Amino acid sequence: MKHVFLDEYSDLSSPVHQLDPRAKLVGLVAFIIICVSTPPDRYAAFAAYLGLELVLVLISRLPWRHVLKRLLVVLPFILVVAAFLPFFGKGGGSYNLGPLTVSAHGLLVLWNVAAKSTVSVLAVILLSSTTPFPELLKGMEKLKVPVLLTTILSFMYRYVFVLMDELQRMRRARDSRGWSGKWFWQGKVIGHMIAALFLRSYERGERVYAAMLARGYEGNARAIYLYDFGIMEAGFVSMLALFPLAARLIS
Amino acid sequence: MHIPDGFLNTGVSVVTGVAAAGAVGYGLYKAREELDEKSVPMLALCAAFVFAAQMLNFPIAGGTSGHFLGGALAAVLLGPWLGGLVIALVLLVQCLGFADGGLTALGANIFNMALIGTILAYYFFYGLKSMLPKSRAYFLAAAGVTAWLSVFLASGACAIELAVSGTSPLGVALPAMLGVHALIGMVEAAITVLVIGVVLAVRPDLVGTYDYRPLLADYGEAEVSR
Repeated sequence: MKHVFLDEYSDLSSPVHQLDPRAKLVGLVAFIIICVSTPPDRYAAFAAYLGLELVLVLISRLPWRHVLKRLLVVLPFILVVAAFLPFFGKGGGSYNLGPLTVSAHGLLVLWNVAAKSTVSVLAVILLSSTTPFPELLKGMEKLKVPVLLTTILSFMYRYVFVLMDELQRMRRARDSRGWSGKWFWQGKVIGHMIAALFLRSYERGERVYAAMLARGYEGNARAIYLYDFGIMEAGFVSMLALFPLAARLIS
Repeated sequence: MHIPDGFLNTGVSVVTGVAAAGAVGYGLYKAREELDEKSVPMLALCAAFVFAAQMLNFPIAGGTSGHFLGGALAAVLLGPWLGGLVIALVLLVQCLGFADGGLTALGANIFNMALIGTILAYYFFYGLKSMLPKSRAYFLAAAGVTAWLSVFLASGACAIELAVSGTSPLGVALPAMLGVHALIGMVEAAITVLVIGVVLAVRPDLVGTYDYRPLLADYGEAEVSR
């Protein structure tokens, strides 16, 4: 297994990593909701949100490279959906930028989506890179998310790695047979790979399930919850909710 | 098509969020009612499969690449509610694990790709299937058309949500999204047909919506003698 792609660096040790997943989940969701509902012209508030997150990244000792790489996820969507807005938007006055006319309203909309999506993605990175996915699911369960949902998700987490291994093997076999991915008709190969992946994974699932039954599985996995919602957790949640609220009111 | 946080206004987020929560809740109810305890590993496996399949990129025109979405495939293999549940789970993991798709936009993403791209697509597929002659070829054709429509409609819903939120004007976003996804939809259709064709040949019992009595003429000789 050569890929730790889902919750990379969640096994580091830092004050943020040691917090109860419930606190991180509740705190960061509150933080994102406050951020998303902030009017776009409160520039200082957005600076404060970003500052708080950067401090948390520092405390959690996440490598900056990793954080930046994950941040790039939002870029394509901003480019496709919003990058053209300053040139098409109407109203709110306009600036001349050489031969181009830039609308102030369009610029504000672009700033709005770019700032909010960057701050929110950073918050989710902080959550997923400091919390192992199974622990996050246990936290969700404690927060009364339906057990069926978290059970399916925890199985999914386990299977994803197996399937990615399978996929990597198939991909290596495909590439070593001269697949370049440049031609439309090579799409057929992708179809066959996906079909093979489905059949192999389904049959593996049947075997795994039979093995689980043989070992006494009766519908739910038993696990210990090692965290406690203590003073650190209460402090973390109130910081993530009160600091941005204050920044938003002041700015 | 994964909308990040900040692109939608409160109204759109709340309305699509409520619809998505309802569909996921009903899907979970169906999973508990219709299937036995085996449903948990199987649904998880299908979700992991769609998750992995989405990692395979293929080239589209102009140097860009797209990837398989799997909404129509999930609908044909698992039926509307379980298929929709699987797609919603994939979106949830992508949102929490990769920050791909925003937390406050999760409802809208589930609305587009699970409610429209899978559940609505299933009912379209069901209607189309019942109008066509009962044969393997028409079954696959119906699945292909459904796959194209599923991607096309989901992208249209995405553009409308962005326009209602005041992020991008409908006149620009709708044709752009529909145009690109009309192309992606063709690849989606081709892959869906290929995958269902292979699964029908090897494990026809896994295609939940294929309820025809297999005719000898539908199979090649190799399969008959199997």
